[in-house]
Amino acid sequence: MKPTNPLRIAVQSNGRLSEPSREYLRSLGLQFNLNGRTLITPCENYKLDILHLRDDDIPEYVSREVADFGIVGENVVREKESRVRIVKRLGFGFCKLVIAVPEGSPIQSVNDLEGERIATTYPHVLAGFFRENRINAAIIPIEGSVEIAPSLNLADAICDLTQTGKTLKENHLVPLMTIMESEAVLIESMISRHEKLEFLKL
Amino acid sequence: MKSILEPQIPKGTRDFLPSDMVKRDYVLKKMKSVFVNYGYDAIETPALEYAKTILEKYGDEGAKLTYTFKDHGGRLLALRYDQTVPFARFVAANFHDLPMPFKRYQISPVWRADKPARGRYREFYQCDVDIVGTDSLLAEGEIVRLMADVFQALNFKQFVIKFNSRRLMNNVLSRLDIPRETQVSVIRILDKLEKIGKDDVLQLLKELLSAKTAELLLESVSLTGTNEEKMKWLKKDLPPEISEFLTICNQFGVPQEALVFEPSLARGLDYYTGLVFEASVPGINLGPVCAGGRYDDLCSTFSPEKISGVGVAFGFDRIMLAMEELMMLVGIRLNSQVLVTYFEETLEHSLKIVNDLREAGIASELYFQPDRLSKQMKYADKKGIPFVILCGPDEAAKGEAVIKVMKIGKQKTIPQNQLSLYLMGYHES
Repeated sequence: MKPTNPLRIAVQSNGRLSEPSREYLRSLGLQFNLNGRTLITPCENYKLDILHLRDDDIPEYVSREVADFGIVGENVVREKESRVRIVKRLGFGFCKLVIAVPEGSPIQSVNDLEGERIATTYPHVLAGFFRENRINAAIIPIEGSVEIAPSLNLADAICDLTQTGKTLKENHLVPLMTIMESEAVLIESMISRHEKLEFLKL
Repeated sequence: MKSILEPQIPKGTRDFLPSDMVKRDYVLKKMKSVFVNYGYDAIETPALEYAKTILEKYGDEGAKLTYTFKDHGGRLLALRYDQTVPFARFVAANFHDLPMPFKRYQISPVWRADKPARGRYREFYQCDVDIVGTDSLLAEGEIVRLMADVFQALNFKQFVIKFNSRRLMNNVLSRLDIPRETQVSVIRILDKLEKIGKDDVLQLLKELLSAKTAELLLESVSLTGTNEEKMKWLKKDLPPEISEFLTICNQFGVPQEALVFEPSLARGLDYYTGLVFEASVPGINLGPVCAGGRYDDLCSTFSPEKISGVGVAFGFDRIMLAMEELMMLVGIRLNSQVLVTYFEETLEHSLKIVNDLREAGIASELYFQPDRLSKQMKYADKKGIPFVILCGPDEAAKGEAVIKVMKIGKQKTIPQNQLSLYLMGYHES
């Protein structure tokens, strides 16, 4: 199936923001029928296609104007460093990016991170944090299951997303500090079109 | 008794130590990467040319500054004086093999028997970029965008690219009825405007022109204001290429605040026929760091083909001086990033570690002798090597190694197979 409408919005296909993103679109008065595994859903009462994508890809798709809008976690926008504009914060999908250390770790403050290894899926955000705080340390980029890195002696600390802190606790990790507070945001590409302005009035 | 020769080099030449060369390489690499990004290819020509190839072009002044000598077969040879004449010879000699338009960059030493001074050497590097075989103004636009990219790639916060047209200069000179034979001298004087100021230029002009003409001329070319204001003022003399060029630069995304229309700019050399450029860095008293322009007949000496082109030369040594003065070259290290220390009992571990690091693309070296650890550390310190890796018997037994970060003095014991991960992920603030 091909997108047919002049306006496209990208949302997470399968993850913690999927359902709240759809709810948000419905709250704007948009009507659509999610049809099994289709990756493109046209709205029934508005000239808009909803693209269901992997959240990591959303900022890039929007910056390249494949989609006009996107709904994605601010953490992803910051990590991808894509050229997109944040239109508004949406008030759901709250989470924190924290640095955490194993229970009983000698690392007790930011400065103790000096020279240590920190595993993360957010190397760019973390590098920015280190730059601002003038910390020299080794960033160990990994794609997932970051919490396991310290117990495998792959890292001395981790930097990861947390909502309730439950996963950290299960892995005997203690949060040391929050480096970013995040929530879902509506992003748009840098070009302006009148169709986009219309949508933003909804 | 064996006599010892004093280890000296000729006046006006330089030895470059590794600490100089890493900086020069760093700058050259950035410049080259911009040239390559724009699709320019490198060429080289010999350091030696037949003297007649070189002497023909420069007249008496150039001839005095050219190093010439007879080779063992009695032929008169000369050392390369600049890259323009060898390039003209090169294009004429290889004309049928070169794609036209032809885009090339060339970076090589040239030699001049000049009096050495600050920033002036007898052996120095030139760095030229030219497009020949097209008279499209897009070529001018591309060259200016490339200049801006080079300065941005080198992290200059500020730079100014002045431009003018030789046609505008000619129009002004003809309007004021300045005779052809004095035009070249007049242009040379106007070129000094920034250096010696309005009053002295007027004084010099009055030696060649009537007081009234001299004043009118100076008034026409020493304008202040925005580019548009200057263009409006010179409307009658303005060739159309000026505004076409500005439009192209705009579309090419040249930062507009860096582009300054300077009607007095002439670039002394008489082979320029169209737009001319000159780039400088504000706040550094060095003169232009890059200059060039459009020429209509590159190869006239060597070929019947009329070949038009546009090009600029970057003053590599001046750029180095400017960057040194602006503290833009601090913190550039020698090549070695890691020293793996020598332990007699665990030598094979050290060798494996250094091999693994090199395989991972991390520039590393091994200490060669069983010296005391403090001496090995001192060596790392003297070379400014940021990381030292130690693998003594205790660490070796556990498959671990100690990594010492010299700048912060911290030591960490980590598995040997994770050393490259640590080093690649290391973030220096």
